[in-house]
Amino acid sequence: MENDAAHAGERMTPRFWSLALKELRQIRRDKRLVLSLIVPPVVQLLVFGLALDPEVKDLRVGIVDESRTAESRELVSALTENRTLRLKAAYPTPAELERAIADGRLDLGVVVPHEFARQLGRGQTADVQVLINGVNANTAQLAQGHVQAAALWLNTRPGVAAPIELRTALLYNPGLEHTWFTVTGVLGALIVLNGSLVAATAMIKEKERGTVEQLLMTPASAVEVVTAKIAPLFVLLMGMTGLALVVAHLVFHMPIRGSFTVLVTACACCVLTGIGIGTFVATLARSATQAQLMLFFVNPPLMALSGGFTPIEAMPKWIQPFTYLNPIAHFAGLARAVMVRGSGMDVVYVQLCALGVIATVLVGFSAWKFRGQMS
Amino acid sequence: MKRSLAQVRKELTQILRDRLALALALALPVAIVALLGTTISLTVSDIPIVIQDLDQTPLSRQYADAFRSSITFRVISQPLAESPETALTSGRARGALIIPEHFARDVLRGRNAEAQLLVDATDTNTALITKGNAAQVTSAFASGLGARTTGLSAPEVIRGGVGSVRVNTRLWFNPGREPRKFYGPGMFVLGLSIFPPLLATLAMSREGEQQTILQVYVSGITAHEFLLGKIIAGVVIGIAEWILCLGVVFTLFGLGIAGDPTPFIVATLAYLFCGVAFGTLVGVAIPSQAAAMQAVQLGGFLLAFLLSGLIFPVENIPAGLRWISNVVQARYYIVVVRDVFLQGAGWAAMWWQIPPIAAIGLVFYALAWKTTRRMQVNA
Repeated sequence: MENDAAHAGERMTPRFWSLALKELRQIRRDKRLVLSLIVPPVVQLLVFGLALDPEVKDLRVGIVDESRTAESRELVSALTENRTLRLKAAYPTPAELERAIADGRLDLGVVVPHEFARQLGRGQTADVQVLINGVNANTAQLAQGHVQAAALWLNTRPGVAAPIELRTALLYNPGLEHTWFTVTGVLGALIVLNGSLVAATAMIKEKERGTVEQLLMTPASAVEVVTAKIAPLFVLLMGMTGLALVVAHLVFHMPIRGSFTVLVTACACCVLTGIGIGTFVATLARSATQAQLMLFFVNPPLMALSGGFTPIEAMPKWIQPFTYLNPIAHFAGLARAVMVRGSGMDVVYVQLCALGVIATVLVGFSAWKFRGQMS
Repeated sequence: MKRSLAQVRKELTQILRDRLALALALALPVAIVALLGTTISLTVSDIPIVIQDLDQTPLSRQYADAFRSSITFRVISQPLAESPETALTSGRARGALIIPEHFARDVLRGRNAEAQLLVDATDTNTALITKGNAAQVTSAFASGLGARTTGLSAPEVIRGGVGSVRVNTRLWFNPGREPRKFYGPGMFVLGLSIFPPLLATLAMSREGEQQTILQVYVSGITAHEFLLGKIIAGVVIGIAEWILCLGVVFTLFGLGIAGDPTPFIVATLAYLFCGVAFGTLVGVAIPSQAAAMQAVQLGGFLLAFLLSGLIFPVENIPAGLRWISNVVQARYYIVVVRDVFLQGAGWAAMWWQIPPIAAIGLVFYALAWKTTRRMQVNA
């Protein structure tokens, strides 16, 4: 066995190249495979980046103004001053307002009571009732904060200083570009999921066409065959990753504030992880269709537990540890640190090590499985 | 009709014999609805922050304690010598509160005391939640402070004796602001958007791939009978998936039927018809299972997930893309689903969501019929 390996090493180079070249040519001739290296990454990045925006704006507000005074109008204008809330309609009675909320025609209802201005004038506390449609938990939370802030603003008269003022500075992303969060998450998902799909399709081809025997007849060892299969895929998928990074930079103005080398290393680990998953599935499935169906069992959980689209901190506590097993979660964390916050190796070495370990284990295991299949 | 029913029987038998397809049809939707419904949420609690207290007085410590006792924040320890920015760059904390020197002195003298909050805005939504909650904690602390130092009630201190506005908020339909009650139904719709069309596509493109479609062409069955058979079989499987996923919604997400369930049932039937017709159309048009599957994934998943308001509001999609959401059937169905689980407004508010779903479905059906018929003449 040892002898055999040494033997193979001697003549590895020319044979390896011819095999790798054969793979490259095969992939290039498969139009669908080439397309799936270009179209899905670009489309997914664009659509996810553009469509996934949790910003809360233009919430529809309905008002019942029983007071009809300058003070109540001041309150309404304070509420609808910025673009979070938009006044949609005034209602004569609270009952009609409530019906509008129940029917989903309003997101928020404000009831200003009859004695509002009188109480204010007497120096008493005037109550205002705000009804929020809480169906969307996130919108409700932000709307509630906004209403409270408006009330606080009304209560602080010019000239009277608030006892404590909290100055908030938004670091790293002061323009609150949500795409910076989504795109970094989608990038990892894209590399791993698309990588696994492309790898599975490419790896299963010999099996589908029944050319495995021909490979066995060549003097190449199993290790050479597997490496020659993986290497071209790796190069192509890195090309796809580069394309995705260019799109992210040009369309979404994604900065890369930290080390580019670290980012590319992390991308390489993700590509290898994808190849590992794809190869493993290809050893189990009998056809490309089956492989694709099997990926349905792997990919959605990977996406769900990635924190790519919604923060991991928002998941239930018991489920959060599972994200440590997910390469996409590590990549998203690393990409956000390196690209947006400009962190260096001293911060992201944990994620990079995790990615390296996951990639090595998956590629090693699946290559071993694949080899076993050939002999 | 008899021939259609025979077709239905054949389709169902075929599915029952294929173990992978059966798992895909029944186990996977349930698993995915459960998993995504549990994990997808934007409502963050326990946001890690560091506090740098440069004042070190009883008052500044009370202020820090106000943050400690809030459920939104989790204060993590930070060595005094280290700058708070390091905690943010290293990703250990999402926010840093800096209480300046002379904080207590300024507050007690009635001068304006300024505290600073640094927020990591990489995740914009979490940043806004952090900002909003920190402001709420601060104003609550400030008003408690007024009562303690002067004996006046808090708003009076702030407004200097003139009356103040107090907001009483009530959250309807989801008072605990539980994210699962919002995202759960969304993921339920997602499950029903992916799997019925996918299975329909597989069943249809298999005929093309294995050339069994030629047998259909030479048999006496008409295009309508053939398609109806396929679609009814797909809808039957869809109903089974619907019932299983409903189980998840009731048990795991703790939701119930809020009002009249009939609009929901009618809309579901229309939605399943629409999805299965879409899948069949793709299957007819692309006679390769692998390629057809990718097309359905792109159409069913991407459109339903992104352009229908399942997670993020449709209004936030740029106008250039937003019009697409009008022809995405999931956009209408999700309204009915959220209503039946949470609001319960019934037919009066919901009836107009159903015709678009049915109309989109009929368009898919017509296109599928046209393609089948054309091929039938050719064969």
